[in-house]
Amino acid sequence: MEIHATRRDLLRATGLGLTGTMLSACGGLGSDNSSDENTGTLKIGFVSPRTGAAAGFGEPDAYVLDLARKALAGGLTAGGTKYSVQILDRDSQSNPQRAAQVANDLINSDAVDLMLTTSTPETVNPVSDASEAAGVPCVSTVVPWEAWYFGRGAKPDEKNAYKFTYHFCFGVEQFHSMYAHEWPQVPTNRKVGVMWPNDSDGNAIRAALGPLLEQEGFTIVDPGAYTNGTNDFSAQIARFKAEGCEIFNSFPIPPDFATFWRQAAQQGFRPKICQVAKTGLFPSQIEALGDLGIGVAGGAYWTPTYPYASSLTKAGGKSLADGYRTATGKQWNQQLGPSLALFDVAAAALTATGNPKDRAAVARTIGTLDVETPVGRLRWGQGPNANVVATPILGGQWIKSTDSRDKVEFVLVENSSDPNVPTAAKLQQYGRR
Amino acid sequence: MTWVNAILQGIFLGGLYALFACGLSLIFGVMRIINLAHGDLAVLGAFLVWSVTVTAGADPFVALLPVLPVMLVLGYLLHRTVLARSLRGGPLTPLLTTFGLAIVIQNGLLQAYSPDVRSLGGAAGGLATGSWRLTDQLSVSYLGLLVLVVAVLVLGGLHLLLRRTRFGREMRATAQDPDTAALVGIPAQSVYAKATAIAVATATLAGVFLAVRSTFDASSGPTQLIFAFEAVVIGGLGSIWGTLTGGIVLGVAQTLGATVDPQYSILAGHLVFLAVLASPRGRAVIR
Repeated sequence: MEIHATRRDLLRATGLGLTGTMLSACGGLGSDNSSDENTGTLKIGFVSPRTGAAAGFGEPDAYVLDLARKALAGGLTAGGTKYSVQILDRDSQSNPQRAAQVANDLINSDAVDLMLTTSTPETVNPVSDASEAAGVPCVSTVVPWEAWYFGRGAKPDEKNAYKFTYHFCFGVEQFHSMYAHEWPQVPTNRKVGVMWPNDSDGNAIRAALGPLLEQEGFTIVDPGAYTNGTNDFSAQIARFKAEGCEIFNSFPIPPDFATFWRQAAQQGFRPKICQVAKTGLFPSQIEALGDLGIGVAGGAYWTPTYPYASSLTKAGGKSLADGYRTATGKQWNQQLGPSLALFDVAAAALTATGNPKDRAAVARTIGTLDVETPVGRLRWGQGPNANVVATPILGGQWIKSTDSRDKVEFVLVENSSDPNVPTAAKLQQYGRR
Repeated sequence: MTWVNAILQGIFLGGLYALFACGLSLIFGVMRIINLAHGDLAVLGAFLVWSVTVTAGADPFVALLPVLPVMLVLGYLLHRTVLARSLRGGPLTPLLTTFGLAIVIQNGLLQAYSPDVRSLGGAAGGLATGSWRLTDQLSVSYLGLLVLVVAVLVLGGLHLLLRRTRFGREMRATAQDPDTAALVGIPAQSVYAKATAIAVATATLAGVFLAVRSTFDASSGPTQLIFAFEAVVIGGLGSIWGTLTGGIVLGVAQTLGATVDPQYSILAGHLVFLAVLASPRGRAVIR
């Protein structure tokens, strides 16, 4: 092909492309600043990733928002006054800049009284930061709490780093407890091959979880931090095979795990336990792996067997899962629990505050709140610090579904961080089911 | 032996990158458009193949047969309806157009297919996971070899098309000077539309192979675009075969980098890309 084009042309054109991208990112400035002065209405902002890379997390939001709106249709009574409640949901597009922008719009243009946000540090941390800066109370979930608390600049010895932002989620200790109770269920040589990526989750896990697992008598084989979006994992597979690892653990984005796991099959790495986090949360991520997905172990922050119900909507456990299937035709998804729990916290905090329009008072109320939610009873003030409630994550395994409507199902095999939730089976060696 | 395996897997990966890159290279070479929607068109193709696979219960490569002509037509119409108009607006307009197109495709797919991740690997069965084990450390995966062979065939086919056919001559003439080509009776817009159709079809092939290797969702397109760009630049824009070389050099750089330390994998690819730009050969091409 004799075509007159040079690298410079290509780069120049690429540069134009990047400029275009940045221009578009600057869009949406100058939104109007008209705030609703109607004091009889409480406004709740809800920011989650509905599109973009983390859109899978936001999938059940429409259903949960519908439940919450119905439950709050009659309004809330606080300090003897009845308020109507408006929920404003916004999409973070899985993008930190966009998340900060929609949060600031909700704060400045819509004058929300309370902010709720969920799923991944890319969405939650910027929304929490914007709320803290503006003095708007904010409750968040589904980010490991260390990544939320320390990831936003709290110092290790600080116990009360934030005034307006509160969080409930599992942390490294819950992962440690889950793995320590789950892996011994299958006899192995206790050598763990790990693929912890070079991102905030991966590095936090490497620094905090690795040493804890070594204390339990596991040998960690860590080839090093890889970049998300890597398309070949031959180097790691060769290392795991050479070291004879019988347990595999990773915190990858879904496509990286699929690439790795297929290459592992091609190149003959077949551990007895394959334990993943961050991917393997939702049925679609396992179905996409085909037969290779059966027997993969994962963690759950909510399942329909959790014996708790939402204090706001009374939904929980099986009724929540069944309601979701009736409304959407889809199999349950563990996001249902924490997303609904956010609205339980919101309703409890607003009603327990004498003047729910007083943002500082609402924030103080959350700091002492005790509320029943689908993921369990949340009590702030019990540690690990003033802003965070550490919630359980329980170990489970994906098996071929016994329900003809579904391809795979998740069964709990470990409940060390919440023994009230029943386990259904023991962990089976990968490839033996 | 680990190094030998790294190079081998890098070559297979390079086949995928070359397949992604050739459509990009073709559109840029003929029309001077950087198609920022290239990755998203690949994902669109993968989704269509996925739909056929699920509804007909077919193997993904059988499902590709009805989808490829659809994507050819789509590429042709894309040029006739969108790109041709934007080309009249100067160099920035087509770029913004393809950027907008990328957003439209991503969100259209999200609407139509939900954010669930999908893969064609399960439907491809043993092809996705099987391999010939030459030694304990050296394995040739069926899929890797297939991608490489298809890449060589597609790029070889394009090379022959450009070199040996009347349409190839028309395309080269239009690329050099569309006005002069028009004087001798070659309609530039028709040539452009056919080139876009071919590029979209090759993107579909790349998208399907990506979907068999890994998982994909509506937002998967842009991730692969950067590697396709690098393959195009490393290989140079002078020849179609250069794209294959560029893809393989990039793939091998990534796997060798990963063998040193996994955190150098992507970085090694970027460094090779920069080194090529800074080398005497690169400087000679940059005029």
